[in-house]
Amino acid sequence: MTWSSRLTVRVLLALLAFAVLARLPAGLDVGFQFDAALAVVWGFGILSLVLLTGYVGQVSLCQATFAGVGAYAAGMMVSTYHAGYLVAVGVAVLAAFALGVVVGLPALRLSGITLAIVTLGIALVFDRYVFQDAAFAWFTGGSGGWRVDGATMFGLQMDSSRHLLAAYIVLVALFCVVALLMVNLHDSGAGRRFRAIRDSELAASTMGVNLTRYKLLAFGLSAAIAGLGGSFYPLVAGSVSPQPFWLFTSLQLAAIAVLMGVRYVPAAALGGVFMAFVPDVLTRFGHGTVGKFTYDISFDWFQIAVGVLLIIQLILLPDGVWGDLRSRVAHATARARYTARVTKKEQVRVA
Amino acid sequence: MTMLRVRDVTVRFGGIVALDGVSLDLNRGEILGLIGPNGAGKTTLFNCISGVIRPDAGAMFFEGRSLKFAPHERARLGIARTFQNLQLWASMTVQENLTVPMDALGGRNTFSDALHLPFSTYAERASAERARAILHVLELDDYARSLAGDLPAGIQRRVEIARALAVRPQLLLLDEPAAGLDARETEHLAELLHTVRERFHVSMLLVDHDMSLVLPVSDYVYVLDFGKVLAKGRPSAIQNDPKVIAAYLGEESEKTDEVLSATRRHQEAPLLEVKGLAAGYGHLEVIRDVNLTVCPGEVVACIGANGAGKTTTLRAISGMIHPRSGKVTFSGRDVTGQTSEQISRQGLLHIPEGRGLFPNLSVEDTLRLVSNSIGKEPDLATAYRLFPKLKERRHQAVGTLSGGEQQMVALARAVLARPRLVMVDEMSQGLAPTVVRQLFETIRMMRDEGIAVLIVEQFVESALEVADRACVFEHGTIGHSGSAADLRADRKLISGSYLGTAVASIAGNGNGHHADPALMEIVSVKMPAALKRTLEERAENEGRPTGAVVMELLEKVKR
Repeated sequence: MTWSSRLTVRVLLALLAFAVLARLPAGLDVGFQFDAALAVVWGFGILSLVLLTGYVGQVSLCQATFAGVGAYAAGMMVSTYHAGYLVAVGVAVLAAFALGVVVGLPALRLSGITLAIVTLGIALVFDRYVFQDAAFAWFTGGSGGWRVDGATMFGLQMDSSRHLLAAYIVLVALFCVVALLMVNLHDSGAGRRFRAIRDSELAASTMGVNLTRYKLLAFGLSAAIAGLGGSFYPLVAGSVSPQPFWLFTSLQLAAIAVLMGVRYVPAAALGGVFMAFVPDVLTRFGHGTVGKFTYDISFDWFQIAVGVLLIIQLILLPDGVWGDLRSRVAHATARARYTARVTKKEQVRVA
Repeated sequence: MTMLRVRDVTVRFGGIVALDGVSLDLNRGEILGLIGPNGAGKTTLFNCISGVIRPDAGAMFFEGRSLKFAPHERARLGIARTFQNLQLWASMTVQENLTVPMDALGGRNTFSDALHLPFSTYAERASAERARAILHVLELDDYARSLAGDLPAGIQRRVEIARALAVRPQLLLLDEPAAGLDARETEHLAELLHTVRERFHVSMLLVDHDMSLVLPVSDYVYVLDFGKVLAKGRPSAIQNDPKVIAAYLGEESEKTDEVLSATRRHQEAPLLEVKGLAAGYGHLEVIRDVNLTVCPGEVVACIGANGAGKTTTLRAISGMIHPRSGKVTFSGRDVTGQTSEQISRQGLLHIPEGRGLFPNLSVEDTLRLVSNSIGKEPDLATAYRLFPKLKERRHQAVGTLSGGEQQMVALARAVLARPRLVMVDEMSQGLAPTVVRQLFETIRMMRDEGIAVLIVEQFVESALEVADRACVFEHGTIGHSGSAADLRADRKLISGSYLGTAVASIAGNGNGHHADPALMEIVSVKMPAALKRTLEERAENEGRPTGAVVMELLEKVKR
């Protein structure tokens, strides 16, 4: 397939995805509508890992921190500077990008487990200190966080209590655009440079890839994507608090990204839905009685479920849920096509 | 005229001086050979020139300008390299592997790439075109869409060269391009390198152990020893330089047919008996119906082309993989399907390709570990008697030793465990001729100590000199076997089986990569030029039409 026709197919697919996703939560109650919006926010978080870990092979355990920085920066812009929400999102993305580049600096020298621990440390510093200490009240809005009421975007009301769906549609549109760009990136020159770093840093650098530049760029872009998702959090939830962006969320993002297939863009959508809906479904419907037996599967069970699923996936679907299903389908079609051709040849020979 | 000037380069690793004031000149258009024993500093020098290691002292000039450090800057200047330990981007197709260096140097933009702006799309097409041209010269057209990691090692080596050419280099640094290739493939590579020089106007620096590649290909040769330039000159002069012969090439060993390869007649029961063994990976069966015996105190060599099933046989015997069918009997007991640990406790040791050493342990600690399997402190003096060099290095970490020394550690460790049979896979891969000779000498000593040895070797000649008997592998089973002396006499038999297995090695090598249906397709439909020539030659040898040979091979491939 030529480049332009492949691009057309992708754009059409992105539009189709948007058309379907934008309508889906319309029939749901407000609680699930909130989950849907949250799913896109975490979808961005996982998408950022697809770029950083899936494409470039770098480990990061502080993606929720980037999202948190995006959320607080947006909250600050709206509350303190009374900026329009679009401007707030822009500032949030830039702030996250900058932090990402800074976090990327140690990655120039480190890799694997050491890099994971450094990013874990960064997540801890933001979680326990920056997001909670009074010294950063200008950024976090103090202990109460920012409250965002009456935000507008494109001149439309985007208030969380009454116009949640509007915010959701904007989020989904942005997600489809970023996902499309990511897929394009994968097969382009820059994407190949990223993947070359993943497969062999040594070969990449001796073949002319500037490691400093591309590693920092990868961390910056990844943080920007996470921050973009996070910047919508105040709009969706109405307020910002440190809790959603704590260390554990970062770990969960990483675990779910691997679970769903960290090399594949669609896995981000799957992961976001999984991460937002499953805990809520468990809290809502996870308790009751069957005969004499009373059960109560609370939110805590979600964490356990993620752990168990991760172990099962690493054994049965090493390339992640999406990755393995995809290659299985591809394999089956290729085999079917092959046998069809062989039998045809044989038939010809017999005839 | 001088393209690359290296002046007094010194590199130290801790207390060890790897390079000691080395100077070297490379002229435009020249192929410069760099040889020397393991640990002489070849790879270090190579890494300095390609910018992977920063020298402690000295200077390097390229086209009269001082070289900056970062590796990607060197690529920009037109210096490209290949890697001995295959550093292709395994999850990318061959074509993608080639386009990375092209557009990394073309200064394109991440954002325009992600948006697929027309500028990016145009550049993309241009890169693809150039990639195809390079692949064509290296006879790799058929592999453009295959994943680099799925290809057999021999093809991957050629892709490494193709990728380096994609940098548009003026200087091509080749790191052991003939490692793991058999005699025919090496010969073909030599031709290919000359074609590459003509077509792409590149100069080359060639590091390799295989004299049958370096000497005919190079215009000029440098010999390194102990981090210093031992000699330099035209290949013909180097070949006869007494210093070089002493340090590296070694005396041409005389053919001592008497005691060494005379077939020993053993009255005792066989030590190892393999009957009808079949094994494989995934849905691919790599070996089938392998029958083989080793008697106590006997040396048996397994030879045959890449992908013929030698390694898989060893793995199935030692329990590293589970045999599909057949029976393995060791000293009278059925060990089929036992774990490698159980089997090794009974005195059957397997030294795998890559040696299975722990890089961070010191030599002495590695050897002491043997106490785990024999239940008492090993007698290190024996090991140091057989390998005096290891005594000098006993406190050094194994990972910092040269390849030859590491192989010695692996052998020493095996000897200390007092086994009855040792199986050594690709013992001499990547080692210098003198080291190989020493290692074969140790094999002989091991036999004299009463240890039976089963070796897998690419150096057929040397292997047959040491061995009592040999098995020639062909298409995953043993084609011929007999006394080593007979096989040495019957050269045609051996080269025939090497040719035959070329098909099998293209369809899927024996190292666990399963055969790609597309690859099978290539073998059966679009025959690569090299394979075609091989088949024609085989047909001529056997006095049959080519079509008959092809049909026979296709039958085998299908099975």
